[in-house]
Amino acid sequence: MSGILMRASNVTAVYAADTGKDVPAVDNVTLEVPDGQIVGLAGESGCGKSTLGNALAMIANPPLYVVAGKLEISDTEIDLSTLAKGANEVHRGHRGATASLLPQGAMNAISPTLRIRDLVVDVMRAHKRDTTKAEALDRATDRLKMLEMPTRVLDSYSHQLSGGMKQRMVTVISTLLNPQLLIADEPTSALDVSSQKALIEMLLAMVEAKIMRGVIFITHDLPVLSMVTDRLAIMYAGKIVEDGPTEELVNNARHPYTSALLSSVLDPTEETRTKHVLGIPGSPPNLGNPPSGCRFHPRCKFAMPACKLEEPAFLHEGEHEVACWWAMEHLNETVPMEVNQA
Amino acid sequence: MTNIQSSAVAAETEGPLLPPEPSTPKAKAKPAWRSLNFGPRLWVSAGLIVIIALLAFVGPLFYPFAPDEKVGSLYDGPSAEHILGTENFGYDVLAVLMASTRNSLINGLLAGTLAVVIGVFIGILAGYIGGWLEELLMGMTNIVLAIPSIVILILISISLQSTDIPFLKGIVGLALVIGITSWPWTARAVRAQASSVATREHIDVAKLSGARTGGILIFDVLPYLASYVVMAWVLQLASAILAESTLSMLGLGPSGTNSLGMQLHWALAFQAVATGAWWAFLPPTIVLTLISFALLYLQSSLDEVFNPRLRRGKKKHLAQAAARRAEAAKQLAEQNQRAEVTA
Amino acid sequence: MGLRRYLANKTVWYLGALLVAVVLNFLLPRVIPGNPVDVIVSRMGQGGQSSEAQARVYEQFMREFGLDQPLWSQFVTYVTSAFQGNLGASFSFYPTPVAELIAQSLPYTLVLQLPAIILGWIIGNVLGAVAAYKGGSWDKSVFTTSLLFSSMPYYCLSIILLYTLAVVLGWFPPGGAYSLGMSPEWSWEFFSDALQFWWLPFISLLVINIGGQAVGMRSMAIYELGSDYVNYSRSLGIGDRKMTTYIFNNAMLPQITGLALSIGTMVGGALITELVFSYPGMGSLLFNAIASNDYPVVQAVTLIITVAVLVANYAVEILYGFIDPRIRASKSGEK
Repeated sequence: MSGILMRASNVTAVYAADTGKDVPAVDNVTLEVPDGQIVGLAGESGCGKSTLGNALAMIANPPLYVVAGKLEISDTEIDLSTLAKGANEVHRGHRGATASLLPQGAMNAISPTLRIRDLVVDVMRAHKRDTTKAEALDRATDRLKMLEMPTRVLDSYSHQLSGGMKQRMVTVISTLLNPQLLIADEPTSALDVSSQKALIEMLLAMVEAKIMRGVIFITHDLPVLSMVTDRLAIMYAGKIVEDGPTEELVNNARHPYTSALLSSVLDPTEETRTKHVLGIPGSPPNLGNPPSGCRFHPRCKFAMPACKLEEPAFLHEGEHEVACWWAMEHLNETVPMEVNQA
Repeated sequence: MTNIQSSAVAAETEGPLLPPEPSTPKAKAKPAWRSLNFGPRLWVSAGLIVIIALLAFVGPLFYPFAPDEKVGSLYDGPSAEHILGTENFGYDVLAVLMASTRNSLINGLLAGTLAVVIGVFIGILAGYIGGWLEELLMGMTNIVLAIPSIVILILISISLQSTDIPFLKGIVGLALVIGITSWPWTARAVRAQASSVATREHIDVAKLSGARTGGILIFDVLPYLASYVVMAWVLQLASAILAESTLSMLGLGPSGTNSLGMQLHWALAFQAVATGAWWAFLPPTIVLTLISFALLYLQSSLDEVFNPRLRRGKKKHLAQAAARRAEAAKQLAEQNQRAEVTA
Repeated sequence: MGLRRYLANKTVWYLGALLVAVVLNFLLPRVIPGNPVDVIVSRMGQGGQSSEAQARVYEQFMREFGLDQPLWSQFVTYVTSAFQGNLGASFSFYPTPVAELIAQSLPYTLVLQLPAIILGWIIGNVLGAVAAYKGGSWDKSVFTTSLLFSSMPYYCLSIILLYTLAVVLGWFPPGGAYSLGMSPEWSWEFFSDALQFWWLPFISLLVINIGGQAVGMRSMAIYELGSDYVNYSRSLGIGDRKMTTYIFNNAMLPQITGLALSIGTMVGGALITELVFSYPGMGSLLFNAIASNDYPVVQAVTLIITVAVLVANYAVEILYGFIDPRIRASKSGEK
């Protein structure tokens, strides 16, 4: 696996619903992250991107169960299933060290009765039992200095920090052990624009400094994605529908859903005044009873008879792959974006 | 007793039993109690209460002996005719027990309901209107809370004992006194919930459409507090019954009537425990414990019904689902292995 | 709010509550219909032969209550003498000062309640936290037992324990604080004798306190288990045991508040326990005083109870201020 940091194969994760039936939130997903790159994971709410993030970070908790999946990262191979005996203990060793989650909503991520520096010590000791307090704090202070953050933050409690500072502090803690892969789950959603910028710059700096070797950036905020990511994977109803280099995807979308998503973003240019935001008609399917064949077909403008019958296989076009029957019939053609002139 | 306190404290820290704001701003979030899910706990506790109520209210209709009918002498043991023997005055214990239970329950209902009415009223006013009124009412509430209610009850009751107004000396008078002194808990918790509801959007809508404050309080605020008010009512019932029995054992109980506390009072006064006359004190003890337990169990099961975060899942379903999941996992693993081989 | 402001706030508030309590303690027996003063005065006023005891009581009243004085002056007399430790003289045990009676009974009550409250709180909270974390059948059984015990009034458990363990099985003495023939003194002999009388009442208080705390702590801990910080710590690879300490530290805060709030109600039930065991503490003193209409004693006992509860509450709230970081270390606005 040269040039590839990690490959997650056939990940399936289900939610145990109150009815007793299991709902697959992530259905047989395969994803790759090249070394030193930031891969974006985008889609509507409920498409399964956060669930996939949880599965990869190995923190799935009942009622969420990872039923199948393999994670190959650097030279290690990890079984992602949470049903295997002793899975939790195996995963625990990797959490924060191999793959680390940067959570959505850092507001309450740190216990209100815990000083930041104590959390730092606990995190380090969780992976190496004989770490001394001094060692742990030294590492934290070095990291803070490198990222140009005030070191006295370590002596504070969570409630003494502002929202933006909290998010950055949580980012530092999540990467303290130099995890191979950082999974950032909607890190910018709760922040104001300037804090967003600060956080993104910090992430880029950390990748540059090789603190992490790859990032999965989960968000529904498309403009942010096009700024930050090298590759982009689009998820719909628990499956990945398109995956490729960001620039190529944005300019040459091959899946109707991708195209629809992109066209729903407003670009602050002169022409925007004359355009209508179209939105995508219909709503995401019930994952307990998904549509047959391609899951997007009920809402797709380009649906063909085949779409209802069989799930499309992946079509590889260089570094770009797409799962769509229309795409297979119209090779190398960008999905025409409908622009409604006012 | 600690349960009431911990529920009140929990209610304040957790916030109200309201579902999160719905994503479409127009829709009114359904009050929590609309999607109910009764568990076995609820039925057990409710059943227990019904049984005790039957004993108290229906029993006397079928039982041949009256509670003030002398049928024997001091502490006659249980016999075929009198299953629980006689107590210190020679009355049939079972008859007295039924009368006592009835009176204790009535007292509990009266006092509890009164306390809840006062508490909800003060709590809603304080929470919804806020400002200086809230400060004033809550200050008052907190002071009444800090002073141990038993002290107030003793001081008031000891005077009422010698009063010439007969109505104040009986069960009703006692219930009145207990009700007037035990509302602070409910007020405090209701206020926390009410001030949260006051910030919801539908309240603004109501205000803008010209509804008067009274109307808003009844139709827009109260339904959301309903679940909490029900739980508070159950707790107040339990608290009132126990307060009455405490006072009775101290000798400050309702004069001339029976109550569970009074039965215990007489048992202590006539050395029933030391002489081993278990039929005189065990039945009221057991009934008192059962009532108290059933009410508190009921409250905690209601808490689980209304507060899903406390729910821990039905065991049977969980096991079945886990089995199905393990099966699915195995199949997928095989599938993926095969796919890898052919890839 | 800062620590200093919190402390000042609490101090002022408790002083205010104390004032209200003392006023109530003074006022209630005088204004409720059927109050002792009215009763005695009307009886005296009816004329006719009054026994020596009654005359004595009447004179006591005049002196104690200063009935010829206006109400506020009575209050001042009341408060100033109370401060000097003069709580009047008992009617039943005239001329024994009330303060002496209280000094005799207070130690017994303290030795029962203090350990029961403190130990009960500690054990109960640990039990509740563990039950919440472990879940499953362990949790269910702990919860139901705790609920049963916590919903039982103290004296109910006392009666059951007394009957089964003392009367039927004879493992413990059936009442009193020490054997016949012994007299209270600071000797090892006395203490070891008194110990066997202490067990049952202590256990009945302890078990119920444990139950109450366990139930409350379990709810708080379960609530905390769903918190963001638990998920986050887990995602960093922090182990279960460490996370339980986090949860415990957070769930404990409202439990401390709860302790302060419940001290008041605990006292009532615990006093009745003394009655069941004929334990010569404040409860028995109060009971006898009520039965014999010994008003000075009743008033003094209620005053002491109130003051003790307020002081205990105050202490707990001050402690809380030092423990909760949100109060101890207030916002400093780090950007």
